Amino acid sequence: MSDVQTEIMPEGAVSMKEGKLSNFWKDFRKKKPALISFYFIILLFIITLIGPYIVPYDPAAPDYNKVLESPSLQHLFGTDSFGRDILSRLAVGARISLTVSISAVLLGALVGTFLGLISGFFGKWVDRAIMRVCDVLFAFPDLILAIGIVAILGPGLKNVVIAVAFFSIPSFARIVRSATLETKEMLFVEATRSIGASNKRMIWKHIFPETVPTIIVYFTMKVGTAILAAASLSFLGLGAEPSSPDWGAMLSNSRDYIDSSFHLVFFPGLIIFLTVLAFNLLGDGLRDVLDPKTKD
Amino acid sequence: MKSRISLLLFIMMAFLAITACSSDENSEGKAKDEKKEITIAIDQNFVTLDPHNAGDTVSIFGTRAMYEGLVGFDQNMEVIPVLAEDYEVSEDALEYTFKLREGVTFHDGEPFNAEAVQANFDRIMDEDQDLRAKRNFQYVDKMEVLGDYEVKFTLNQPFSAMLNKFAMVPFISPKAIKEDKDLGLNPVGTGPFQFNKWNQGDSLVVDKYADYWGEDATNVEKVVYKPVPENGSRAAMLKTGEADFVYPVPQQNVKDFENNDDVVIEKTPSTIARYVSINTFKEPFNDVKVRKAMNMAVNKEAYIDVVKNGYASILDSTMSSETQYYSKQEPYTFDVEEAKKLMKEAGYADGFEAEIWGNSSSETIQGMEFIKQQLAQIDIDVSIKSMEEGTLSDEIYTPETPEDAKVQMWYVSWSPSSGDADGATRSLFSSEYFPPNGANTAYFNNSDVDKWINAANETSVKEEQADIYSNIQSTVYDEAPWIFLATDTILSGHTKNLDGVYVLPDGSVSIKNATLK
Repeated sequence: MSDVQTEIMPEGAVSMKEGKLSNFWKDFRKKKPALISFYFIILLFIITLIGPYIVPYDPAAPDYNKVLESPSLQHLFGTDSFGRDILSRLAVGARISLTVSISAVLLGALVGTFLGLISGFFGKWVDRAIMRVCDVLFAFPDLILAIGIVAILGPGLKNVVIAVAFFSIPSFARIVRSATLETKEMLFVEATRSIGASNKRMIWKHIFPETVPTIIVYFTMKVGTAILAAASLSFLGLGAEPSSPDWGAMLSNSRDYIDSSFHLVFFPGLIIFLTVLAFNLLGDGLRDVLDPKTKD
Repeated sequence: MKSRISLLLFIMMAFLAITACSSDENSEGKAKDEKKEITIAIDQNFVTLDPHNAGDTVSIFGTRAMYEGLVGFDQNMEVIPVLAEDYEVSEDALEYTFKLREGVTFHDGEPFNAEAVQANFDRIMDEDQDLRAKRNFQYVDKMEVLGDYEVKFTLNQPFSAMLNKFAMVPFISPKAIKEDKDLGLNPVGTGPFQFNKWNQGDSLVVDKYADYWGEDATNVEKVVYKPVPENGSRAAMLKTGEADFVYPVPQQNVKDFENNDDVVIEKTPSTIARYVSINTFKEPFNDVKVRKAMNMAVNKEAYIDVVKNGYASILDSTMSSETQYYSKQEPYTFDVEEAKKLMKEAGYADGFEAEIWGNSSSETIQGMEFIKQQLAQIDIDVSIKSMEEGTLSDEIYTPETPEDAKVQMWYVSWSPSSGDADGATRSLFSSEYFPPNGANTAYFNNSDVDKWINAANETSVKEEQADIYSNIQSTVYDEAPWIFLATDTILSGHTKNLDGVYVLPDGSVSIKNATLK
């Protein structure tokens, strides 16, 4: 009996997935802000990959004869206090900002999802223990928690990743837990249970796939928060080394020039703003399309 | 059209914001003109108002508004008599006799006389109190009262900068000392201004003292000091007139203010020397060729332009040109080729990795970045470690021995607060002053220099002292324990109708002659 099922299921799943994907794309295309954000993020990813090879200037090379130049044709975004090209720095810095935030959220999502699944599936004291710990972490404002962690571990991008991941864990755990609780009561899970599937199989084969859309939506939105948090930590001098073209560090280093050379803070600020906005809009769009509750 | 609407909106919003403030503030604003009140915005908080225990520049000049010493500094940091009418130094430079000014009263009505000097001296020398001012009297053996208005100090060894040290010791009312209240919170002195209130972290208010002994040099009734650490806010306060005097004015804003007719920007040469100390105890920095190469690889003109926005001059000695016995040296020329050659001779043709430390202020970070870029030209790969001031000072001053010290390069500045050559030399270059005993963070160790530093104190002949300090400066400059960068230009700003408030070369603000037009 179970043999038959395993043979049939994959085929059905594949075709269903294809159908789901094209359906998804059809719905998603209608969400204009989300679609634009999606393209913007794709563009950012491309820049992240090839940015260092196409930028017009070496982002680290100072030119003391051209400090604080306003935007011009040679330097589209102007130059900073060391005469470095801001556009080049932003392009190369995209790699730092995106790597840090995405890897941090990924790490947080992995651990959080795992905890959420266990917590929701097993319930009882496991659930209570995990959720109480999450409650404690929730009691701290995200950034304060991150500052505390970086203060303990020492400044540096690696520790920023850990700090941001750390404060992402409880929210992922909680959201996955609620999705698990819901799925656990569904008929097909009951059915698998009744044919004697193991806990492991039930969690990973049946419950986890159902929580994926929720995770994707939340992941996208959390990336925006993480970019902001990483930039804030760098702004406070706890993240990237000041000479690296990290967006937050660029903003921090140029804040003394806000009166005299506006473009120094404007462009890094703008790019952070746009990126965070894009991730949030994309998240909104994905939620509208993926979330079964809002869909129907 | 559109811009007009937005302008209108902006005005309305600004109006709302102003009226939304309490009416209390409104009346205060009016009173400000009538009552001759001024506000001074500075960049740091006062730590204490106990004049015998103030160590930081801000606390020192805060207490100087209310307190005076036997001698003091004029605008050029020259020592002038204040509470002493006259003084005499004996031939052997061991005895200092002061004739005290008569008719001086403390703010609480107590008279200033030899007894008051004695009470203050006793307080400072009291081991239990552990006051900072004791360091000024480290060579003082005893004090004698010769008459109601005459006192004599006897030293146990000659000390060239003793008069400057007397200028750093103000006098507290003996009654206040006896009452034993917390003098850090309740200052009572003889100065032209008396204490009104101190809201820690927010403001220090002082009022004019009506019975001041000296000439009536100020028409200001009330002075409010406001610590405002954020550069932008301080600049804005000057722009809007919320502050009448601002120090320091952020370099980036100076050009703006120069086009502003309501604001005057003052540029004062300072005793502040800015440098990178190199740990001469550690490889590869123990090789003088490497240190010279580092000095040659740094373009000082570019440093001043980029980091200091042009408001500084090249540091062409171990001390600023405003310091006593300064002697000009030939600055290391910017020559990357020559520097590379030296590196090769030293066996570091391929460079090495190094670490530079500094505090977390934005200017320091910018300075460290600049050094990193410059040293990259001779393949020294510098990584920047910026730390919060307290952590940094722990890291640097905790190690007990040179072997334990982790510091390689430190981006820092030094200002002798009494403006004397000893203060700009001894604790920086004497081998007795390695951390934790002093600030010789270059771990500079030269027996000649050690000998000279002591010799300079043992003579009271000015010419000899000048010679000795000139020797010290040329030797140290040649040994290059620092990357010599720049001497700061002090930038302060005041509104057009304020006069007489100025910043001394050591970075302290004097309000004694404040005059509103």
